[in-house]
Amino acid sequence: MDWLAEHILSGLVFLPFVWGIIGLLLPNMKDSSHRVWAFVGSLGIFLLSLYLYFNYDPAGAEFQFVEKTPWITAWGVQYNLGLDGISLWLVILTTFLTPLIILGSFTAVEQRQREFYFLMLALESGMLGAFVSLDAFLFYVFWEVMLIPMYLLIGVWGGKNRIYASMKFFLYTVVGSLLMLVAIFYLSYQHKLQFNQYSTALLDLYKLQLAGDGWFSVQAILFLAFSFAFAIKVPLFPLHTWLPDAHVEAPTAGSVVLAGVLLKLGGYGFIRFAFPLFPSAVIQYQMVFLTLSAIAIVYGAWVAMVQPDIKKLVAYSSVSHMGYVVLGLFSLNMIGVTGSVYQMLNHGISTGALFLLVGMIYERRHTREISDFGGIAKLMPLFAIVFMIITLSSVALPGTNGFIGEFLILLGAWLTHPVIAIVAATGVVFGAVYMLWMFRRVMFGPVTHKENESLKDLTSREILVLVPFIFMVFFMGVYPNLFFGKMEPSVQRLITKVMKPKNLNTQTAAVKVEQQNEY
Amino acid sequence: MNINRELLTLSYEQLQWLSPIAILLVGVLFVICVASVFNRGSKQITQWTSILSLFVTTLSSYSLLDTATPHLLFNGMLVLDKFSYFFFIVFNLSGAATILMSDRYLDLDEMNHIEFPILILFSVLGMMLLVSSADLISMFISLEIMSLSVYSLVAFRRNDRLSNESGLKYFILGGAASAIFLYGSALIYGATGSVRISSMLTAATVAQPSVLFALGAVLVVVGFLFKIAAVPFHMWMPDVYEGAPAPVTGFMTAALKAAMFATFIRVLIQLGFGKPQWNAFQTSIYQILWWSALVTMLVGNLAALPQNNLKRIFAYSSIAHTGYLLIGLITALKNQAVLGSTILYLVSYVITTIGAFGILSLLAKKGDTGLNVHDLSGLSQRRPWLAAALALFLFSMAGIPPTAGFIAKYSVFYAAVENGEIGLVIFAVLCSAISVYYYLRVIVFMYMRNPAEQATWRRPILTAVVAIAVVALLTIALGFSPSSLIEATGSLSLAQI
Repeated sequence: MDWLAEHILSGLVFLPFVWGIIGLLLPNMKDSSHRVWAFVGSLGIFLLSLYLYFNYDPAGAEFQFVEKTPWITAWGVQYNLGLDGISLWLVILTTFLTPLIILGSFTAVEQRQREFYFLMLALESGMLGAFVSLDAFLFYVFWEVMLIPMYLLIGVWGGKNRIYASMKFFLYTVVGSLLMLVAIFYLSYQHKLQFNQYSTALLDLYKLQLAGDGWFSVQAILFLAFSFAFAIKVPLFPLHTWLPDAHVEAPTAGSVVLAGVLLKLGGYGFIRFAFPLFPSAVIQYQMVFLTLSAIAIVYGAWVAMVQPDIKKLVAYSSVSHMGYVVLGLFSLNMIGVTGSVYQMLNHGISTGALFLLVGMIYERRHTREISDFGGIAKLMPLFAIVFMIITLSSVALPGTNGFIGEFLILLGAWLTHPVIAIVAATGVVFGAVYMLWMFRRVMFGPVTHKENESLKDLTSREILVLVPFIFMVFFMGVYPNLFFGKMEPSVQRLITKVMKPKNLNTQTAAVKVEQQNEY
Repeated sequence: MNINRELLTLSYEQLQWLSPIAILLVGVLFVICVASVFNRGSKQITQWTSILSLFVTTLSSYSLLDTATPHLLFNGMLVLDKFSYFFFIVFNLSGAATILMSDRYLDLDEMNHIEFPILILFSVLGMMLLVSSADLISMFISLEIMSLSVYSLVAFRRNDRLSNESGLKYFILGGAASAIFLYGSALIYGATGSVRISSMLTAATVAQPSVLFALGAVLVVVGFLFKIAAVPFHMWMPDVYEGAPAPVTGFMTAALKAAMFATFIRVLIQLGFGKPQWNAFQTSIYQILWWSALVTMLVGNLAALPQNNLKRIFAYSSIAHTGYLLIGLITALKNQAVLGSTILYLVSYVITTIGAFGILSLLAKKGDTGLNVHDLSGLSQRRPWLAAALALFLFSMAGIPPTAGFIAKYSVFYAAVENGEIGLVIFAVLCSAISVYYYLRVIVFMYMRNPAEQATWRRPILTAVVAIAVVALLTIALGFSPSSLIEATGSLSLAQI
């Protein structure tokens, strides 16, 4: 039992893959029973990940459940896993979403189910691995491995233009990550120079002293190499153009994973790598990223407004919402960063649910054009209610999860740079405009299309998929302290690494939210 | 007197050092005898005796792998050291894999003649002699033993115009390259009065090497660049690769390239490289290689983009990999301690290409057709395992983890960054981002398009399947635990003789 507890992270990372391989190799299994196999497996993995939640001690060490064994000694590469308060939640988000996605794809995926569910589980392994790696090499391996199943999911099960979209997705990410790889080489080499041994372990690399003054110092260039990879993944304006294509063409499950988890890896990369490794460069480039994220927020919202396709609209709303994440991170204070991490979870929940809902209506009507709908609320009342709740969460109505995240981020940004915060805050308004306008056009008014009259409301399986999302929307909206309690010490450490102690704004997000609740 | 005696009699110890070469020589003669005695239906016997002799040679090279100091034989014509023995293993195993995987392909066109394994054996013998040559004359002779066997292998589909054309092209251009090499050797002989490569060291490391010597050395380097198909000496390669029978193309991409690179490294180390202090002559050789690496990566990757024939795609990708290998070579010029990373790259590239061409040999239809990308449409539905294995090899070539190709790229690029070639490495990773496109394109056809027509499928023999499975497992295993190979290649070094 002790041995199991010590290797809980390895278990969590590799179990989905192993489970998937077994499913792939099981002979004489009906194509359709693979989905049950995958669902049971991913549900078990979710329960296993709850063990982490109950045993993670926020007052304890920086990284917990640590596993450390030498892997490639010649290059100083270690198999090093560990969890802090930030990755804890991202891991749970991943394991929470995967079974729901699999349950949501039960009828959507008809062809080659065996391979589909294997790839879903392999993808889960890759994502979990990236979230818990504490070694730059290992992180890079997971980061790239993850691409292959995602690429195949878009390319094999996607829409009409799937090959173009999957190729674009893969190439974009590879270009970014290869430059990051060169930066990793350089860091490891620096470690050799300064400490006389090779290492790619993150905790070793944190100790490096790198020249950090000016726009083109060593730190700045390395920071840009890392940020380029992460900014593509987030995706940050102007590197976002792969996202709408990938989302529109991907099958529902692919879109949900992409929006729900994959994009978070970009934000997580900033937190785990770019910030603590290159603190001076972060401060040097703070304004650049704040500006870009403000542009992303407003631009994403504007472009979303004019989309005729619901899925594309949601995709551009992702650009806007992930802009908030970057904005919060680069405000470089407790409130902003906490808000960002929270917003990452929110975005996973609300955008994930939106994509599932779009997928459900697409399955019925085989179209996603807003103009093909109208008056759906009369025909599918349950669907409309759920859609409403998720829409409100997405536009950050107080009482839902979205509000907490965006409020904290804007507050954090205000403390750092009020002008940027004001610009970004307009994004909230535009966000409400495009989401509610889309909702009105789809749900209300007369039923204009005959084909829509025979639409059936949600099935019990679909309700089962959506209930956890609705629960989380409200739960995260009214009791965020449960989440903050675990993540705050880690965020605190991150800020201390980046800022000098005197600049610290030590007021915690929890305090702010309490004050807010008093109004 | 001493010299003569050494040429005529070998001591027991010397014979032991020589044993891999001797075993293979005896083996190939034995195979010829066997083939002529069992004239009819000798196909299987020839194949299996060939494979047996390759494996025995491998074992004997393996047993000699702990050789500490280089042994000079035949009055300094051959040098047998750990480096040579390591490459003996690589050549022999890739030869064996090629024979195992070629059976079905040769049967399809009814050209499964006994000469095929024999020619493979002869070229492996040539490679072994080549990599252990310590003398420009023996280097030239073994180069010709290797090349002549491969010329005939390229033209092995003797009723096919394309195959004959490429054989002839290869022969003429290869002959020209050999001539350049020989002319360079002659100039070096003129300048130093000796054909031993040991004499090159003294001539190269003086402050002002003579013009005659410098010209000779540059010509020798050009000869090598031609043979490894570095730009601008790469023109022959795509045509030859396309026309040659698929298993032969695989053999050339893997073993031939490894042999040429290994010898090239030996010659360069002998020109006084391996440490950072250079004279003007060495700097200019370095610059030639540096620019060649840059252009090779760019041209190889760009030219591969519009190709539709799989063999041509792999040909251009092979040129691109030559470019990455040249980066490793350049790095090793500065610091011999990182020589291992280049060898690691070579080994993993050999493994990957052998596997990829093994699959092409299984997919090819009668008359070497069926090797365009659209012939692979929907392969994942028809042959899921074959498609998965080919995808694995493609990902390995593209350098996506966790495969051997990623480890190889990591080690070479890492060593280059460490030794101050960051600019070249950034260029290389951007080029390899380009390469991802054409590798993925093949995967697009296999996985994302529907099968064109129900192709007839002839079951491959079990041994070919096993060979491919072993190679595929090696590709993954190296991706997961490369430590032992890193140590093995890292322990190889070339002493200046």
